[in-house]
Amino acid sequence: MALDRKIAYIDLSTGKTEIKPIPLEVRKKFIGGRGLDAYLLYNNAPEGCDPLSPENPLIVSGGFLTATCASATARTHFMAKSPLTGLLGSANMGGFFAPELAWAGFHHLVITGKAEKPIYLWIHNGQIEIRDAAKLWGRTTTDTQWAIRDELGDQEVKSAVIGQAGENLVRYANVMTGIKNAGGRTGMGCVMGSKNLKAIATRGTMDIKIAHPLEALEFNKKFIEQITTAKVNKTQGTLGTPFIWGATNSWGGIRTRNFQFNQMENADEIEPEAIDDIATKTIGPHHMTGCFGCQVHCRAQYKIPSGPYAGKYGEGPEYTSLGAFGGEPDCKSAETVLTGNHLVNQYGVDNLEIGSIISWAMELYELGIITNKETDGLELRFGNDEALLEMVHRICTRKGWLGDVLAEGGIPAAQKIGKNSFDYLIQVKGMSNLHSDERGTPALALNVATASRGSDHLRSRPAIDLYHLPESVLRKIYGSPVPYDGPLSSDHMEYIGKAWEVFWQENCYMAVDCLGICKYHTVFLGATLPNFEDWPKAIYYNTGLEFTPKEIWDVAERCNNIERLFNLREGLTRNDLVKGDTLNHRYFDEPCRRGAPDIIGAKIDRDKFKIMVDEFYKHHGWDNDGVPTAETLKRLGLDKEPTHLL
Amino acid sequence: MEKFLTVNSDKCTGCRLCELVCSVMHEGVSNPAKSRIQVVKWEDEGRYIPMICQQCEDAPCQSVCPVGAISRDKEFGFLKVDYDVCIGCRLCVSICPFGAMNYNKTTRKVFKCDLCGGDPQCVRFCEANAIEFVTADVVSSLKKREGATRQSAASKQSLVIWEHV
Amino acid sequence: MAKENEKFSVSESLRKTRTFGKVRCHNPSCMGRMEPAAGSQQITCPTCGMAYRLFWVTPELPRIRGPVWEVNRKLAENIRAQKLEASKDGSK
Repeated sequence: MALDRKIAYIDLSTGKTEIKPIPLEVRKKFIGGRGLDAYLLYNNAPEGCDPLSPENPLIVSGGFLTATCASATARTHFMAKSPLTGLLGSANMGGFFAPELAWAGFHHLVITGKAEKPIYLWIHNGQIEIRDAAKLWGRTTTDTQWAIRDELGDQEVKSAVIGQAGENLVRYANVMTGIKNAGGRTGMGCVMGSKNLKAIATRGTMDIKIAHPLEALEFNKKFIEQITTAKVNKTQGTLGTPFIWGATNSWGGIRTRNFQFNQMENADEIEPEAIDDIATKTIGPHHMTGCFGCQVHCRAQYKIPSGPYAGKYGEGPEYTSLGAFGGEPDCKSAETVLTGNHLVNQYGVDNLEIGSIISWAMELYELGIITNKETDGLELRFGNDEALLEMVHRICTRKGWLGDVLAEGGIPAAQKIGKNSFDYLIQVKGMSNLHSDERGTPALALNVATASRGSDHLRSRPAIDLYHLPESVLRKIYGSPVPYDGPLSSDHMEYIGKAWEVFWQENCYMAVDCLGICKYHTVFLGATLPNFEDWPKAIYYNTGLEFTPKEIWDVAERCNNIERLFNLREGLTRNDLVKGDTLNHRYFDEPCRRGAPDIIGAKIDRDKFKIMVDEFYKHHGWDNDGVPTAETLKRLGLDKEPTHLL
Repeated sequence: MEKFLTVNSDKCTGCRLCELVCSVMHEGVSNPAKSRIQVVKWEDEGRYIPMICQQCEDAPCQSVCPVGAISRDKEFGFLKVDYDVCIGCRLCVSICPFGAMNYNKTTRKVFKCDLCGGDPQCVRFCEANAIEFVTADVVSSLKKREGATRQSAASKQSLVIWEHV
Repeated sequence: MAKENEKFSVSESLRKTRTFGKVRCHNPSCMGRMEPAAGSQQITCPTCGMAYRLFWVTPELPRIRGPVWEVNRKLAENIRAQKLEASKDGSK
């Protein structure tokens, strides 16, 4: 059963592995997935360690419900100290890797050390082998996966791999599985590269016993129905995540030209429907695909319709590829979006980060802060599709002065470029923001500023805040499983009560990350999707473990606090523009200039923002510097960390 | 009325939920290696084909069985294994042209699709309708309509058919 | 826990609030609900005047594909001019 999935400690320097069971006490406290990873990181990463040193542990996991009879629980999670931010590194991907790892007997891997030469891990039915990867080094993410299958003689092997970006230690290189599933953020692929770890291959045929199989089946059917009948998931299953970019661009909530504008006008060629037409023409009417066990199927399949990569098969693009290769660099070509998406997936680099960084460089070029000297003659202007794609190649291969500098990540690059380049870098904690504009939505701005892995939308974004739901509905959602009778507002431009929404969502997303559930299956884009009250049944029928909604909430809060403790230990301070819970000055100083009438002129009010952060800390039980109080740590059972429970 | 499982692989999204629910239904475990249905994939081009027992009329598994352990269910028409008679020689596994006769390494027995006794879970859970359970008299007319729809769409130079959600 | 209780969870109880066939105006502080005629390609918000192009996810499920750019840009420009004027007056 899921409870008997093990943890393996793998030291690549010595080649030694140690396999241990995960005690029930640990499950009760941290459940699994991201939450337990955070505990493991806090306990195993030496304070202040260099993210690229052998001491930095790379932790890989599936969720607690992964590969059980619970819908869309295929998420794989990676955690380490981030080489991009120097704080918490965390990335989450879909696909088929985590279930395979679970069938192979494992839920968590803690990988330390550094191999002398390129290697890959081969994990199958309780066994762990370290194998030579000389022939794989230098290959793209997909080539590597297919080559591993051929070498092992099994086409069902699933691998999490790095591409050339990870090998070249691009600070925001990702880990990939399949064509486009990416553990994208905070440079987890860079950590793999630093360990000479090209891939983790896995294959399992071991049973996961389901505690109450028939009940689990029936509950899963009901659960799936709740999910797939939601409007948002029907749309998602037809147009994929680009639909969110399209909808947001419609009113002016996206970023373009490195956050100079909040809407890309006349973006018809890269609208989700236009991308979908290409998928239909090149693949056929049934071109959506999904992750393991998921009926939403939000990922499009396509072939690049034209240009130098015409005919290449790809999957996606997601919201972030539309932002990275469309909105931010102001390129209005579907060919560029699809080609860019293909390139980042092949190189294995975070599309969000690379798109933001190149767009930042474009603004610097237009301002004259960098010139042809730094770009080696490349006209790095907004709207220059060729220059955009050329920079992707240069960064991933560290070619040229600028390619090499930008591969180091925004903050080191700003230090090298100098002048006032830092002012234009749209980041929090050293990581670029999603290509969305939060100036008209204070709740979302708070989420971006305080997210534990740096600027991010998947840690605590109350996206439903934009739907203007009646207060009664908000109370139902946000008033459970712990009572809340403070203010709540249906108005997305309001500041009052938003701190609670962000706090609630932060716990909600932590809970799904512990369980391994996809965020499209909880209160992210749809208000009527499952949350705390629905999960105990899924847990009980599948594993036999009993949790109340409140207990799951407590676990989530505990895990969020562990992440906070890690960040504080590694240097987070509230108002630091580099390692803090605050935003680029553009949020406060430059009003929105495009979009719907009511968004025009919107910007974040500094004083109100400060109060919102204060409230957010207070809900957490943190002091005004964002440090958990002794009382809070005691309440959550974290007052004696690190406790090395396993 | 006899019913068949019929696969439309174009519609398959490759999620493999069918494999999961099949193994949970029959074995009480999650393990695609113990599923009666398996989705074969070519990930590099995004093609997925669910492989199932075709319940053949002139079934090689039935013909090859040296002890006559495989017979047809009178009510639902599927081929079933009588484990009291089966000697575990696995000839049926070798000869099945679809790989639909499987071998359980834990129980050391062969196993195959039994249509879940009339309510196949793979069909019930597949919201893409890539696998359907249809009566013998309409199975080919449904296929004809699908084929004709494709032809019609192709002739209109437009493949936009929004029948899936 | 062993028996599933009959009480609906929050998500289940909110299911009746789903509104198929309607779209909401994308103007964030308008958010007016509009019910487009089946298969129609465009709609104008009766409350705020924003105009949208439509896409039909299914024959029952419309979604806003994007703005009618010229119409909405004009609306936005007017507002921008008004706000600029107002800020010149110092009345914010």
